[in-house]
Amino acid sequence: MNDTAPASAGFYTEDMTISVGPQHPSTHGVLRFVVKTDGEVISEAIPDVGYLHRSIEKIGEKVTYHGYVPYTDRADYLAAMFANQAFCLAAERLAGTEVTRRGEFCRVIACELNRIASHLISVGTFGQDIGAMTPFVHALRERETINNLMEEICGARLTYNYIRIGGVGYDILPETCSRIAAFLDHFEPIVDEFNRLLSGNKIFIERLAGVAVVSKEDAFSYNLVGPNLRGSGVKWDIRRDIPYSIYPELEFEVPIGTAHVGVLGDSFDRYWVRIREMQESCKIVRQCLSMMPNGPAIAKVPRKFRPPAGECYARVEAPRGDMGFYVVSDGSEYPYRVRIRTGSYTAMSIIDKLSKGIMVADLIALIGSLDVDAPEIDR
Amino acid sequence: MSVVSYVRDIADAVKSTFEGMSITFSHLFRKPMTIQYPDKIPIPIQETLPRRYRGILEVDLDICTGCLACERDCPISCITIGIEMNKETKQRQFTHFDIDVCKCMYCGLCSEACPTGAIRHSQEFEGASYNPAGLVRHFAPTAQNLYKPKKGGETDPKMVTKVEIGLKYLDEFATPDGGGAAAEEAET
Amino acid sequence: MQAFIDQLIQDGAFAGVPKEVVYAIAMVLTALIVLSVFVAPLAGVTSWLERRVWARMQSRVGPNRVGPQGVLQWLADGIKNLLKEDLIPAAADAKLFSLAPYVVFMGFLCTFVVIPFGSSLIVADLNIGILYILAVTSLVVVGILMAGWASNNKWSLLGGMRSAAQIVSYEIPAGLALLNVVFIAGTMSMQGIIKAQGWAPWDWFLFNNPFIFAAFFLYFTAALAEGNRTPFDIPEAESELVAGYVTEYSGMRFLFFFFAEWGNLYVIGAVATTLFLGGWQVPPLPMFEDNPVLLGIAEFVTFFVKAYMWVFVAMWVRATLPRVRVDQLMALCWKYMVPLSFICLLGTIGFMFVPENLHRVISAATLGFAVAVMVVFLVRVVFQIRNAKPELYLKPHI
Repeated sequence: MNDTAPASAGFYTEDMTISVGPQHPSTHGVLRFVVKTDGEVISEAIPDVGYLHRSIEKIGEKVTYHGYVPYTDRADYLAAMFANQAFCLAAERLAGTEVTRRGEFCRVIACELNRIASHLISVGTFGQDIGAMTPFVHALRERETINNLMEEICGARLTYNYIRIGGVGYDILPETCSRIAAFLDHFEPIVDEFNRLLSGNKIFIERLAGVAVVSKEDAFSYNLVGPNLRGSGVKWDIRRDIPYSIYPELEFEVPIGTAHVGVLGDSFDRYWVRIREMQESCKIVRQCLSMMPNGPAIAKVPRKFRPPAGECYARVEAPRGDMGFYVVSDGSEYPYRVRIRTGSYTAMSIIDKLSKGIMVADLIALIGSLDVDAPEIDR
Repeated sequence: MSVVSYVRDIADAVKSTFEGMSITFSHLFRKPMTIQYPDKIPIPIQETLPRRYRGILEVDLDICTGCLACERDCPISCITIGIEMNKETKQRQFTHFDIDVCKCMYCGLCSEACPTGAIRHSQEFEGASYNPAGLVRHFAPTAQNLYKPKKGGETDPKMVTKVEIGLKYLDEFATPDGGGAAAEEAET
Repeated sequence: MQAFIDQLIQDGAFAGVPKEVVYAIAMVLTALIVLSVFVAPLAGVTSWLERRVWARMQSRVGPNRVGPQGVLQWLADGIKNLLKEDLIPAAADAKLFSLAPYVVFMGFLCTFVVIPFGSSLIVADLNIGILYILAVTSLVVVGILMAGWASNNKWSLLGGMRSAAQIVSYEIPAGLALLNVVFIAGTMSMQGIIKAQGWAPWDWFLFNNPFIFAAFFLYFTAALAEGNRTPFDIPEAESELVAGYVTEYSGMRFLFFFFAEWGNLYVIGAVATTLFLGGWQVPPLPMFEDNPVLLGIAEFVTFFVKAYMWVFVAMWVRATLPRVRVDQLMALCWKYMVPLSFICLLGTIGFMFVPENLHRVISAATLGFAVAVMVVFLVRVVFQIRNAKPELYLKPHI
């Protein structure tokens, strides 16, 4: 053997092609990535979506407007209220219906509680992917209380069908309001404890600081929305910039990534924006509870809802970003076309760009920090 | 890497580990939040659920007027109702009232549409069955007359409680004219 | 142990049988007894305790139905796994695949030969006791590599490679940390090291000097890394590699790997107790002088409690900390732990030249520091309990 020849002479190497998913404990639903790696460092990660496609948009053409609202719950079951609200906003703008004042307040309370629940799942599963199993269970314990409150408000724990065209389906009773206030008093110290346990942990910070940095320009060109966009330092929130409902009357901050550890736009910033959003949502709910007027919770809407022909695009700030419903009406009682725009679907496009040169463990951290979830992607 | 940042890394790691371990240790002294269902609870869970809870559908056929509003409003077509004129008694009767519980989305639109509150969601959620056919509930096993609501309220003592229960379920929904229970609470 | 057998031979118990055969049979029997009476139930009960401890730390209850308080859960899991289909993937290397769990198991089981359960309860008091333990625990690397390779699965291969790198690297800080104690005690034999300590905390090697105090934590961290426990459980990282090198295993073979992991926790605790915490030493109370059986039991219980405390700490750490990434793991070992262990070693050697009265002052200061840290910890725990109350009973029907 010629011992002056280079070590790789005569060895044939090739990259491994691994399939991360569709059955995988941490791809947030049924997602699949085809990953090319040389053992640790990834050279390519291409998402393969469509495992959870349920033709929700096509179903919109077959059921009435009132009947479609429960289907919108399933578009993203972790943030069901927001899909309900977006569709109802589109239908109301088409028909010119005005929502009652008490109905608007009930909508905002329910939506912000749902935002807290969705972010709890997001940060909990993110911690679980990084390896910390205790904060996940603590987050789920808090979410159980929110589920109980939702059960009191509308009768269901996950797929609410609460926000209806013209208002809300059930009124929020005063004892429920006092329970919501008790929950908020209990919840704010728990977020601080969660931060001490997980966000302050050196191992957690080391895993996330500087990993998968998304610059402002990339965030715009890849059309990221929600906490992903705000984590890169862009102060854009639909509740502030294209306001709907009663958000103009409420005082709250829009948290953006501050790079207090690591680089602006890294995974830790996106995670931190979600933690801060939970705290801001608590403030919003408190304000609503104190400002709640009396009156009917739903406006008079015909049983056979027939908006005039036209089209409307309504956007809301869902926990995973900007959720938009584009509804085209041809004057009949069934919509002509319903199109759902979700934040997770566009977030999938940036994964391939960001995953070049990172390790397999970082890919998991990246997917968790973008908070993609399969029902939103595939609808 | 300077000595200062090296030492700071170690100090941060030790401090945050210490803090995290004190939090998990403190949880050992707190009560767990698990409800050990179904055998280690004092009352059945169904009795703790609110009236609005959207469990499995049930129909009180004695107060059903046969208006078919629930069948029309259901977005997933899980309710099938058959009504026929009985030649001898000249009364309209139910031939079948089937709800396919495994198709039902538990959305509550049928119970909102009902004028008397005959169809409503119960607090039942344990409906598992060994075959899909067992999940179709037949609420009209024998032919039954339709209910005719009387003007000026119900007088038949057997029916009064049923009608009241149906109306209580209907009260839960928000209505455009002042909205049910919340307004009453605000007035009292 | 050997003295006991010799006594029996002298009393004529085994007439006509050559001495070597008697020794061989005695060794096999002892190994079987230790394995079935002590190790197997211990690993099983450790798995139950781990699940209960985690559950309480996560505000839930944990397995409490099988047997009183769920104590027989491990038996139910074991029986269930035995009844599963014995699956060897078609493209896997069948011989290596079947052999790998046993090699891993052997790697930790052989250490029980030198674990001193009491002053006379030790299978063999080798004069290279601690070196033998370090050497034998390296066998698990061979087993893990076999498992990773023989599964014929890219995920398993990745897991096996990572694990081999991890275990081999962390041998060094572990060995160096233990070397501190060997220098002070002057012997590598386990019983010798225990006898060089006393029963009281100020006589333990842990508080002997601040360098050994630091070395203890270095040893514990390195031992956790060798045992594939969080925060270093990358080879079994569920969320990344499905299950690493055990992906293709099912049934009893799968359980063997975890059996080895839980049993290894006890070995870590036992080694830590022997070297740093005074082992089985009990205070010289008068009731022990006349009653050797009572003394034996007291020593056994002391050793067991001290060793098991570290098992609990390992479970506690696993519930608290997230996982480090593979390159960070290697950086931690080579950039932080190896230099620190060398510094501790030099410090201990320098310490051995310090005069006796200064020695005692420094030991007392180390003990005082450790007590202060514990007090600060308890104060912090009280703060956590007062600050955030997770129990919120909004509708107390139940």
